[in-house]
Amino acid sequence: MKWVENNFFDHLDKFGNSLGYDNFGIAVCLSMVPWQSPQDRDVFIMTLTGEDVKGGEPSTFNPGSAVM
Amino acid sequence: MTTAPENRGGFRPTAPQNNPANVSATGGNGQSGQAVPGYTGFAYGQNGALEAQAGAAKMEQAPSPTAASAPAPASMASILGGLMPLDAESQDDRPISDGVDVGRGRGSEALPPALNSDTRITENIDLMKKYLPDLLDAARLPGAPDSYKRLVNYVKARLI
Repeated sequence: MKWVENNFFDHLDKFGNSLGYDNFGIAVCLSMVPWQSPQDRDVFIMTLTGEDVKGGEPSTFNPGSAVM
Repeated sequence: MTTAPENRGGFRPTAPQNNPANVSATGGNGQSGQAVPGYTGFAYGQNGALEAQAGAAKMEQAPSPTAASAPAPASMASILGGLMPLDAESQDDRPISDGVDVGRGRGSEALPPALNSDTRITENIDLMKKYLPDLLDAARLPGAPDSYKRLVNYVKARLI
């Protein structure tokens, strides 16, 4: 398995980083929404925050790094 | 001068009133179903009998449509008359604005602590405990972005 877009963890990455870690609970709930596409989700986030979507940019991808 | 047979008087089977497909476009307001008083277009000798038959079985008159009367619009004064001013005295001799940061009375500091506390932190901790094992597994997937790993590290640090 590898990291894929448009699933719960991808949504959580975007919502958690865009809304802030303190809003983790809200990010989890919004990540459970069956978004039709990552674009739909990103439009929602930008509408909600008024800023660009944070998290998950290709430049931040680091497949070799460990979590802990 | 000879009158053509179709123009002679008496019963004529091809007349419009004898066509069963001839339906009134106005529905019950048309003539169908109700004998016209004094009509004598039937065959010779049948007019009297049919008229007597129709008169014996009077059809009920179609009810005339009546528009439902619209409710009278409530005046603005009657609507606003039921509202209580924000500074009105309540039953415990305090204004109903007590506990709100607007108007007379105490501000929001008078509210019980439960209404002031942010419950998001408790909810967040519960969700973190519930999802942390799966979040950690996903963070180990090849291609997981650093932003996600930072988020998981934050969640893990909050629970330890």
